Amino acid sequence: MFKKKLFTLASTALVFSLAITACSSAPKEETSAGTTAPTKEAAATSDAKGASSAKDLKPYKLVMIFPSGVVPKDLQAVQDEMSKYLTEKINATIEIRPIDWGAWENKKNLMFASGEQFDLMFTASWYGLGQEVAKGQIIPLDDLIDKYGQGIKSVLDPAYVEGGKLNGKSYGVVANKEFAATKGVVMRKDLVDKYHIDLSAIKELKDLEPIYKTIKENEPNIVPLQVKNDRSPASAILGYGMFDMLGDGPGVLDRESNELKVIDMFETQKFMDTVKLMHKWYQAGYINKDGATNKDSEFLAVKAGKAFSYGESMKPGFDMQETRNTGMPMVTAELTKPYTTTGDTTSAMFAIPNTSKDPERAMMFLNLLYTDKTLLNMLDWGLEGKHYVKAGDNIIDYPQGVDAATVGYNLNLPWMFGNQLNSYIWKTEDPKIWDKYKEFNSSAQKSIALGFVFDPEKVKNEIAATNNVMTQFTGGLYTGTIDPEKYVPEFVSKMKAAGMDKIIAEKQRQLDEWAKANKK
Amino acid sequence: MASSNKTHWLLHVLFIFIACSTILPIILVFMVSITDETTIAQNGYSFLPQKISFEAYRYLFLDSMTIIRAYGVTIFITVVGTLGGLLLTALLAYPISRKDFPYKNGLTFFVFFTMLFNGGLVPWYLVFTKLIPLKDTVWSLVIPGLLLNGFFVLIMRTFFATSIPMAIIESAYMDGASESKIFVQIVIPLSTPVLATVGLFNTLAYWNDWFNSLVFLSNSKLYSLQYLLNKILLNIQFLAQNSRNTNAAQLMATLPTETVRMAMAIIGIGPIVLAYPFFQKYFVKGLTVGAVKG
Repeated sequence: MFKKKLFTLASTALVFSLAITACSSAPKEETSAGTTAPTKEAAATSDAKGASSAKDLKPYKLVMIFPSGVVPKDLQAVQDEMSKYLTEKINATIEIRPIDWGAWENKKNLMFASGEQFDLMFTASWYGLGQEVAKGQIIPLDDLIDKYGQGIKSVLDPAYVEGGKLNGKSYGVVANKEFAATKGVVMRKDLVDKYHIDLSAIKELKDLEPIYKTIKENEPNIVPLQVKNDRSPASAILGYGMFDMLGDGPGVLDRESNELKVIDMFETQKFMDTVKLMHKWYQAGYINKDGATNKDSEFLAVKAGKAFSYGESMKPGFDMQETRNTGMPMVTAELTKPYTTTGDTTSAMFAIPNTSKDPERAMMFLNLLYTDKTLLNMLDWGLEGKHYVKAGDNIIDYPQGVDAATVGYNLNLPWMFGNQLNSYIWKTEDPKIWDKYKEFNSSAQKSIALGFVFDPEKVKNEIAATNNVMTQFTGGLYTGTIDPEKYVPEFVSKMKAAGMDKIIAEKQRQLDEWAKANKK
Repeated sequence: MASSNKTHWLLHVLFIFIACSTILPIILVFMVSITDETTIAQNGYSFLPQKISFEAYRYLFLDSMTIIRAYGVTIFITVVGTLGGLLLTALLAYPISRKDFPYKNGLTFFVFFTMLFNGGLVPWYLVFTKLIPLKDTVWSLVIPGLLLNGFFVLIMRTFFATSIPMAIIESAYMDGASESKIFVQIVIPLSTPVLATVGLFNTLAYWNDWFNSLVFLSNSKLYSLQYLLNKILLNIQFLAQNSRNTNAAQLMATLPTETVRMAMAIIGIGPIVLAYPFFQKYFVKGLTVGAVKG
């Protein structure tokens, strides 16, 4: 009958659908102008500075990706300016691609899967570094650093470079910033002054008790201590304050111990004492009642005038930062001394992915971020006169008629890039901040397991199971909501049932291997 | 009849309840979006804000270009995608609905197979970036995964097969109509219910899609409206999970506030609420089966 015509109809549909896709305009060719292999001959003649030999290098377009909450409006303009500058220095142009925090994992993996060229990527121990190394997605950088990264070497303390290595190789260049954390509480300055609270008398957690009592008695509408379901002063001072948590999963190292022995934090006296204290405070009404379920950041409660203090991980200039967040003057009190662990030396790195067509050039660019103030500040803050104006030596301010909300370049990620101590300081910040950073870093106690990175692959299931148990209990314990006497034993036995001991044994095994390899 | 009155009354209550449960959340979202930020921090959400403020909308329209552009993109992909999708779905569904079409089973299976198995995210991405270069184009929001959906093809096929009598098609053929003429002038006009159904699904799918933007776009000028909203939520989720990392905690403070998120949701709903009434009239039209003398 009319079978033939029907077939044409059906095939029209299929062909048509293909035709539509084929008609779409092809994007511009992604690859750079004519470099397909690393330019070895150029590399051989270039010195570490790269400036004098820019002409000897072939033009190359670097692509840089990093996570960011915003894509600045004027990104293109800043990119063009940086490209101009880089062409003179290392004959390269650059494309900056900020990727949303939430989309990062997906995007990054797809970029690797499709093998498209990109040359520099952000990574960190808390952001996939271990996996990327295990999959071979990022390349070891030691030789490149030796050749083209002399500037990096001159800036970074070798101990931190060592601490950021995996399997004895550097896979990322860490940003030069604070390399330690100190734990403590942030308090409202006005109330501290009003009740003549002596901050220097605060040495440990229990010293806060009389202060909270004063606030509770005199300020009936204010919660002395605001906590959140996964964070409180207790969780802060235990995790990386009294213990090196050694990465994911249970199994920690006591800060005061001299041997590399992995223990269970939840069975220690320190843990028990801390959560007992929290529970006591909770019963005394010093802590917000919804602590175990509250998911809002603590500073919001202070901002709303409902709370007096909260626990945090701190670094120099933190009081300023929190003052900005809460909209009222804040002061800080340290409860632990600064402590450097692997988490700090791998917390913000740039790596070179295996899809880069010219890793040498990528390393030259990284090197400039540590040595070249102009370039770094362009990347950090944009263009002078348009996005910021100089208000003194190294001090900057917003241009007239522009503020933080309207500025066209608002990446605001100085902690990610290069040598942060070279970045300009906003007028609202402490002008001495970078000196304080240096002091902070040198005063910090380095963990004896600094440089150890735990690979959770073998105990993935146990970690997932113990994480579930922890979610069930730690919120209630850290916020003081539940009674430790009653629940800690139950918590520990459930953790054991979920395979905690296996994880601890695995951590110990890896730690021993690491110690052997590094002759600790 | 007392009993029927009672059931009537029960039904009314039931439907009033269902209507409230869908409308109230939207009203609440709207009310939160016009509440003053500090009021929320102090008293939580409420239907009657103590202090009204349009700050959130002001904040959004500071950068109104972004939203207007995203609106443009979303409207474009919804219109083009819905029409194109309907056309392609019908063109594929009609032949495989015909019993006298020789490749019917093979093609049907071909469609059905895609419903059960897919290659996974990475091959899907590779097809639309390497094989068909759609990356960073507006077509990447129209074609991948949305344009032709196996499930809709089968719905349409079933409708064509069950509601369009073969007798009509044969009689038209006798009168000298070509195959395409039959399709356009007889089958399509008789199929408004199914076209409206699939069209509505398509419209909603395009309007609500954010995943394609996430996967295929690095150029923020092409982001669809829903992705603008979704990326903020994804960012918040991510940073909240990583709040132990000081830097992440620092970033939390820079994200839009509660009221801004709600305002974005309200803007995101936008004209799509009008889509259903528009399609409504096609749903209520009965099916015409009376064109053939029995």
